[in-house]
Order: sequence, then structure tokens, then C-alpha cells
Amino acid sequence: MISAVTPELILHITAIGLIAIGLAGVVLSSHLFRMVLALVIAEAGANLMLVLAGYRWDAVAPILTSRAEPAAMVDPVPQALVLTAIVIGVGIQALAVSILIRIRQRYATLDRKEAAERMDAEIAATLGAPRDISQEAPLGERPLPPLPADQINMRGDSP
Amino acid sequence: MSTNLVLIIALPLLGAFLLPVLMRSSMAIALWSGPAILIYGCWIIADLWLSGFAQPLSVAIGGFAPPLGINLYVDSLALLFAFAVQLLGLVFWPFTLDQESARRQSLMLLLVAASTGLALSGDLFNLYVFYELAAVATFGLASASGSGAAYVATLRYLILSGIGSVLTLFGIALIYSQTGTLNLAHLAQLAPEQLHNSLGLTAFLAILIGIGVKAELFPVNTWVPEIYATASTRLSAFLAGLLSKLALLIILRLLLLIFHQPEAAQVILILGILGVISGELAAWRAREMKRMLAFSSIGQLGMIFIAMALPDGKGMLAVLALSLHHLIIKSGLFMLAEDWGGALERLRGSAKASPLGAVLFVLFSLSLVGMPPLPGFWAKFVLITELAAQVEPLYLLGLAVFLLATVVEASYLFRVAATLYGSPAQDTLSEEIPKTKGLSLLTASLFGAGVIAVALLIAPVGDGLQAIAAQALDVDLYITTVSPAVSGGSQ
Repeated sequence: MISAVTPELILHITAIGLIAIGLAGVVLSSHLFRMVLALVIAEAGANLMLVLAGYRWDAVAPILTSRAEPAAMVDPVPQALVLTAIVIGVGIQALAVSILIRIRQRYATLDRKEAAERMDAEIAATLGAPRDISQEAPLGERPLPPLPADQINMRGDSP
Repeated sequence: MSTNLVLIIALPLLGAFLLPVLMRSSMAIALWSGPAILIYGCWIIADLWLSGFAQPLSVAIGGFAPPLGINLYVDSLALLFAFAVQLLGLVFWPFTLDQESARRQSLMLLLVAASTGLALSGDLFNLYVFYELAAVATFGLASASGSGAAYVATLRYLILSGIGSVLTLFGIALIYSQTGTLNLAHLAQLAPEQLHNSLGLTAFLAILIGIGVKAELFPVNTWVPEIYATASTRLSAFLAGLLSKLALLIILRLLLLIFHQPEAAQVILILGILGVISGELAAWRAREMKRMLAFSSIGQLGMIFIAMALPDGKGMLAVLALSLHHLIIKSGLFMLAEDWGGALERLRGSAKASPLGAVLFVLFSLSLVGMPPLPGFWAKFVLITELAAQVEPLYLLGLAVFLLATVVEASYLFRVAATLYGSPAQDTLSEEIPKTKGLSLLTASLFGAGVIAVALLIAPVGDGLQAIAAQALDVDLYITTVSPAVSGGSQ
């Protein structure tokens, strides 16, 4: 049963697409500010999804303007929920940006890897313990012993 | 009586916003108002409990009856956790006497209010709001130390938590579009017809991963070691001990009331097993006390998830026992870690410098591993018997992983104990050996006393937990309590 492309279907696809784009952005971007922006996109998708949950195309906004009741009104509950969710989302975004400013002040970078590197280094320094995972000193033995110097010369383009 | 119950959420919330203002006019009032609010909260709950609390109650907020209005659902399980929130909020209160601590104290009150709401609320979207409130308070408290590492750790936690809230919201939208209600009792009525399908399962998975961020569930727990290493030990103890349990409680309620399907339990079981493996192995490798405790708490929560996945609510008692046990033990261990941070090697010979601390550490370790007279043994024993009674191979795999994890746990905990009681290296001065001291030691001994008390009174405590578990399992009771009229007029 392939029905025609309705506006509702398009909006549902848009909502899920926004969430997917946002989540992908959080995972893939290498800049902390872009991660926050991607989160904003994902939240927009979730909010759209919530609005769609109670929306009817043949109905009016749930506001009583006269004594006479209109034929059909849109479900007001999801709209109230979305308002709450938007407010919460904006609050958290503001908090995230303020934390970003502090990170920028402390570390002078917003690169994801660099910031994580410096955080690991700082944690290790304050705790006085070696880092659990480190690029420079991997745990355990080397899989193969390093080649002696003379053998390195033999295989390369020796002069 | 029932109006009082709203106060245990409303008063801390009010206090959180008034505290910075009060601070300007009178320091003394502001400093004592926080603890006073929490003590009053403890008293309300204790009073309710002692005045013959047997049947669960539902408190409609603002005079709107559910399912239209929001309600608080108060059964013994919710009451127990609400009491734990108020009490631990008091125990981990940031007692300092300066201007700087005002912000921390009001955030702590906010965290307590939100956590109590998480324990009591009977409405899905209301739970989401309290969850976000708790998250915001946590971000503020985690970055309070002001170091660069704390800010980066908090931001990473914030982003992960943001992903969690997007997924939760998505799940809520799915549920609402299917059923048209968000009241848990109403959902429990509609669930067998409308939510036991692939859409319901999708919604459950989204909410499980979303709420699971706080419950240190397997794929979404990368924040744990970073936050616990950078935040204050008291906050870590509160997060690991209590907030993770509250997230767990929500997942448990949803699983029991709404998503009572074998597929949902299976997903939880698999994620729990992976959590146990990854957490315990990482803890075994950690070379530092706080990070070891952080990873080990991931493993412990994995065990609770395994218990939760048992069919027909058989694991309910085990979930309850393991949660409360972990709550007491981890809080105590984190309090010891307050002065014992840093490389484990530095602790060599600490037993001489602080004998009580070392004894407490050994006591907590023994209980965590499951030494027979201590409460940890009984909690694990209940889970093992239930797991062994299952025939499905996945549960038996869970049992095997659980037993192996206990061995790993014993290995890394006793390694620390051996370090504590070892003789210090020749060239270290006695001043260099870290000592546990003052408030943190006192708090830790409080938890130690709790462990011993439970060990002595194991029979009545076990009976009490059994009654609480039975009440929490009764879905019909939940529905009739919240909406007596709808469910065939048994009232």
C-alpha cells in the first residue's frame, strides 16, 4: 500500500531526517561549537516530531475565541510540551555556549581532539597517575621489536 | 498529608532560586536554609512512613485529576528513593562558609528537587522535565571547580546528555502519537493493545538509550570516568550513588508498566552484559582510585541491568537489593577516595596513617565482592539463584559474566587493599602518605555503620525489600491507585 506523498509524510521524514543529521553531526564534526549546533538541529527534529504527534490538517488552533465550539481543534497537549521542550533546549544551549567560552579561555582551542587531549593530560597531571590510554605510550608490549638501525638501512633505498 | 508530599519537591526548588537572593541580605539564614529544607523533607517522608503507610497513594497536582493532570505516584519504592535523595543531599551538602558556595548550594538544592521529582512523578513528560533539570544542575556542579579539564568534561557530558534528551523526546513523541496520553497509569492500561508492537519497541529503545545516559548504560557512558575524575568527590558520590539509580528506577517503571515485552528485556540484558564486561575490565586496568571507582560503578550498574532483564519481574528483588547496596557502598568508597585520589602506588602504607579508613575500605570491598555475612552477598545471591533458574542461554551467559566479573572485582579491590596495608617505600616521608581526614572519614564511617547494621538485621531488611518489590510489581495496583474510576470500579 503505497499511498500518495502527503504533507504529513514529508514532515515526518523531515523530522526524522533532522534528528539523523543532528546525530551524525555530533558524531562526525571535529569542532566543539559545531557539535553544539548539530545538537540544536537534532532537537529541532525531535520538537517537530512532537508537534506532528497531535496535529490535524482539518482543525483550527486550540484557542476558544467565541462561545461556539469549533468543529475540530488541534490537540493542545503536544504544543504545550513542545513549548516546554524548546525552553529547556534553549537553556541548555546557552549553558553549552557559556561552557564553550570558558574552554576557549582556558585552552585557546575548540578543536575536539585537541581539547580532549589537553583534558586527559590535565586530569592525569592533577591525579598524579599515568593516563589510561595514550597515543604516545600504548599499554602492553610492542607487537614486534623495533628494527635495529642497520636493518632499516638495508631495505630502503640505500645510497 | 498528601499536600505535604508536594513540598518535598517544591521547597528545595523554591530554595534553589531564593538562596542567591537570601545570601545578599543574611549569610547565616542562607547557609542554614538549605539543610533545614532537606531535614524537613526527611521528616515529612519519615512521618508518612511511620504513620502506617501501607497502600500507595496518588497525589494530583493543582487539582487536576489524572490522566488529564500530572500526578505524583507514591509507593514504598518511590518513597524509599525520595528519602534517600533528601538524606544523601544532606550528607553530601557542600558545607562551606563563603560567598562562592552559594551557587553550589542552590544547584545542590535544584539537584535534590529534580531527583525527588524523578522518584515520584507519574507522568512521562514530567519525568523528562525533571530529568533535564537534574542534568542542568549536574552540569553546573561538575564545572564548579573551574579548571579547563572540568569544562571540557562537562561539555562532553552535556552533548551526550543532549543526545539522550533528543532520543527521549523522540520516544515520547512516538508514544503520544500512538496513545494520546502521557500518564503512566493510563499508558499501562493502553499498552497491551497499542504499544506491544514494533513502534512501542522503538519508543522504548529511544527512551532507554536517552535515560540510560544517566544510568551509565553501556554505549552512552563515556562521560563517567571524565566527570568523576574532574568533579568534586561529593558530587561524584551523589551521581554514582543516587542519580544513576533514579534513572534506573524510571527505566524499571517503564519496563514494568508499559513495555512488558520479551524483546525489551533482551536488549537490556545484552547491554547490561556488555556494561559489566567493559566496566569491570576498565576498572581492573585503572591506576587511580577515582577512575577505578567510576569504571567499577559502570560494571555494577550493568549487573543491575542484567537483574532487570529477568522475565516476569523475577529480578525485582535483586534489582532493589543490588541498587541499595551499590548506593551505600559506592557513596562510602567515593568519600574515602576524596583524600585518597592520585596514583594507587602513592597509597602504599596508608593503613598505618589512617587505620579507620583502611578498615572501612576493606569492609566496603568485601561487601561489594560478596562476602557471606555482609549485605552484598545476599544481593548477589538472590540474582545468582534467579539467573541459574533460567533456561535461555543468554541468561546463562549473563550468569557466567556476572561470576567472572566478581572475580575481576575481587582482584582489583584487593590489590588496593594490599597496597594500603603494604609497607611504604623507604624513601617516602611519612607526611607524603595521604590520610583520610575529618568530614569525609566521618561520612564514610556513617556508610560503614549502615553496612554493618544491614548485615546484622538482614532478615527484617530482606522481608521489607520483598514487600516493596511485590508492591512495585503490581501493575493493577498502580492503575487503580491513580485512576480508581477507569479500572472497573474496584474502589
